[in-house]
Amino acid sequence: MDKVNKSGENTGKVVLKTLPHSKDLKWPMLWWIAKEKIYRTLPWKKTAWTCAAFPIEVMWAYDIFPDHPENMATVAAARKQSQRLIEHAEGMGFSRDLCSYCKTNIGAYDTKIKKTLGGISKPDIVVCTNAICDTHWKWFQIMADKMNVPFFMFDIPKWVSGTDEKTLEGNIDYVVDQFHDLMAFIEKHTGKKMNEKRMNKVLDRSMELTNLWREIFEHRKAVPSPYSGAETSASFFPLVVLPGVKIGINFFKKILSDIKSITAKGEGTMPKGTETYRVMWEGIPFWYRMKFMYDLAQQGAVIVFEPYTYSFAPPKKKCLTMEETLRDVAKLMMGTPYAFNLERRIENFEKWIDEYKIDGVILHENMSCRPSSAGMIDLAEAIMRDKGIPVLILQCDMNDPRAYSEGQIKTRIEGFVELMEANKK
Amino acid sequence: MKKLAYFDTSHEMPLEIIMSAGFIPYKIMGDVHKSNDPADKYLSNFFCPAAKSWLTEALAESKEWAGIIFAQGCNNTNRHYDIWKLHVETPFLHWFGCPLLDSATAKKYYRVELQRLITSLENKFDIKITSEKIREAIGKSNAIKKKLQYLSALRSQKDIPNRDYLAAIIKCLTSPADEVSVWLDSEIAAGTSKPAFPTGKKRFLLTGSDVTYVEWMDTLDECGIRVVRDDLSIGERFFATLIPNGSDPMESLIEYYMGIPKPATRPTIQKRLDYLYKALHETTVDGVLSQNLKFCEPYAYDSVPVNNALKSKGYKVIHLERDFSPAADQQLATRLTAFVEMMDGGNNG
Repeated sequence: MDKVNKSGENTGKVVLKTLPHSKDLKWPMLWWIAKEKIYRTLPWKKTAWTCAAFPIEVMWAYDIFPDHPENMATVAAARKQSQRLIEHAEGMGFSRDLCSYCKTNIGAYDTKIKKTLGGISKPDIVVCTNAICDTHWKWFQIMADKMNVPFFMFDIPKWVSGTDEKTLEGNIDYVVDQFHDLMAFIEKHTGKKMNEKRMNKVLDRSMELTNLWREIFEHRKAVPSPYSGAETSASFFPLVVLPGVKIGINFFKKILSDIKSITAKGEGTMPKGTETYRVMWEGIPFWYRMKFMYDLAQQGAVIVFEPYTYSFAPPKKKCLTMEETLRDVAKLMMGTPYAFNLERRIENFEKWIDEYKIDGVILHENMSCRPSSAGMIDLAEAIMRDKGIPVLILQCDMNDPRAYSEGQIKTRIEGFVELMEANKK
Repeated sequence: MKKLAYFDTSHEMPLEIIMSAGFIPYKIMGDVHKSNDPADKYLSNFFCPAAKSWLTEALAESKEWAGIIFAQGCNNTNRHYDIWKLHVETPFLHWFGCPLLDSATAKKYYRVELQRLITSLENKFDIKITSEKIREAIGKSNAIKKKLQYLSALRSQKDIPNRDYLAAIIKCLTSPADEVSVWLDSEIAAGTSKPAFPTGKKRFLLTGSDVTYVEWMDTLDECGIRVVRDDLSIGERFFATLIPNGSDPMESLIEYYMGIPKPATRPTIQKRLDYLYKALHETTVDGVLSQNLKFCEPYAYDSVPVNNALKSKGYKVIHLERDFSPAADQQLATRLTAFVEMMDGGNNG
């Protein structure tokens, strides 16, 4: 399948169809931006910086606006600002080897870049967790110190390969205890009180939101796939900062309705008859070059599943008591798919490969995310051995365009596609 | 007595539990002289080269060890546990999840993890780790720490090469306690009789990533830098404080390990700075050397606020990034020599 012209540019013959309501993503985004302005303007309202895998629901339950430096870093990358912000941070002394989200954020804050370009304002408190990486707390602490803002860190024990149930229970106890520490911290520094009724309402909405996303993923199993990684990488936004509020739910309902309609007609995101290879993408996308996903389409490849966006939809359910709820959420925080240990990673990847009828897997060995990249070689070998499909390890970076080598990546993708083609024969 | 090896990016492993179990605690530090090819099969080129060296050592030597304990430490190497579980042959592999925090909540969890470690060792090796044995191990540890404190203090008074100090710490972290204790007596005697601090050297505090091989210390000496204080884990953090002599030895261990000066892998940066300020208050130095091993993230993050804070207090700080190699890096040596020379000229920024 040759869709590339002599100059190496995409001919654009294959166009991924977007869902009719995809454009409605602007509403939750605008709502979030407007809310941020309101919360910053009204003196009795409070704001916080939070990170991935942090239980955002707690913030909404306290009526605290959850700002999100990672989210804003992706905005900076998409708006082609990340490189200059990263270089600004490097000019302050931060090493080239450090997380590009962190450096984008440091650069954005220091240069006071506009919100629409990835800027972020000083919050009232900084809260974070190491559920995904210690970079979060190192970065957030540096910034909290710089901004002179109270800082809270949620220490999440590691769920390493072979962890038994008894150990897991001990780990959960530790996380639950920290929930109480977190509440004491919030109440001390914001004067706000936990309202259990409000918390339950937030959890109900969070559950509805994540259930919708999981249902969307069920439909992505269809052949051809109705919804590719090119779209989910943007549309999962409500899961990042809006679990617990209504606006994201309405958006996901419309997306789900679109998907049902498309699959009922037997259609997919690729033009009819062009979905040749179904690909799983592991890791954070190249935010500065989302065109990569569309380039794949030129080769007949569509990303039908990515654990990254799926990770943002843990079903945080309301239990009979607050303590039970906290235990349930604690376990989910420790077991986020993005941070699965190697054994669970292999087990789940192989399950997903079957469920989504995957022809090949791309593992983004992200130089900004060493925890996620650790074990990728073993993961690739296990998949190739057990599932007999090709796996491509792409070393790159999520937010630093300097790591993206156009020619090299193109060549490697072409080789990967050839392997998938040979494997199908 | 057999060695029980441990993977520890700082000083988190309660050695006294290993001693109480009847083993020699052996800190895995790799061998900088050997190629990391075996570990390269499992870890890419942007992972900590020191941790790769540890994996290389384990792949070759693990059969000689009774087992391996991983102490939670650096975030980037925590996930190496899974890789070790898959590829390193060992009859015993245990994850010790020492918490990052030092709050009351974290102390409670530390006790749970400490007890889990004890039970795991008891079950595997059919032994009993009694309070009496732990107390005895604490006594031995403290004796070594006291001797190291004495030896360390000699650095600013006597002509003790950088390599001798590091070699002593490494020996303490890899050899039987009784043997080390006797050996330290002779080292102290030798150190006391050494000539006075050489006039041609500058006194430095060394901070940043851990140093696991003596050649780097030689390079510093050759550049006119004599390390008289540090906040390294294979350094002062190991002996800066003593284990309390309380009635409950478990409580003593918890108090000690959660209270020792913080590495970059543990909050907070201010607590790290507090130790540095204390060291700099106790010992007059000419400069501070902040060095970062390539790909060592925790210290790379800290280096900016830490160095800025030290500079703002008037300390002369040089920061550099080094590779994991025994070969002298001439570019770095030139930078260091120039920094030292500028001190003499009074033009050191």
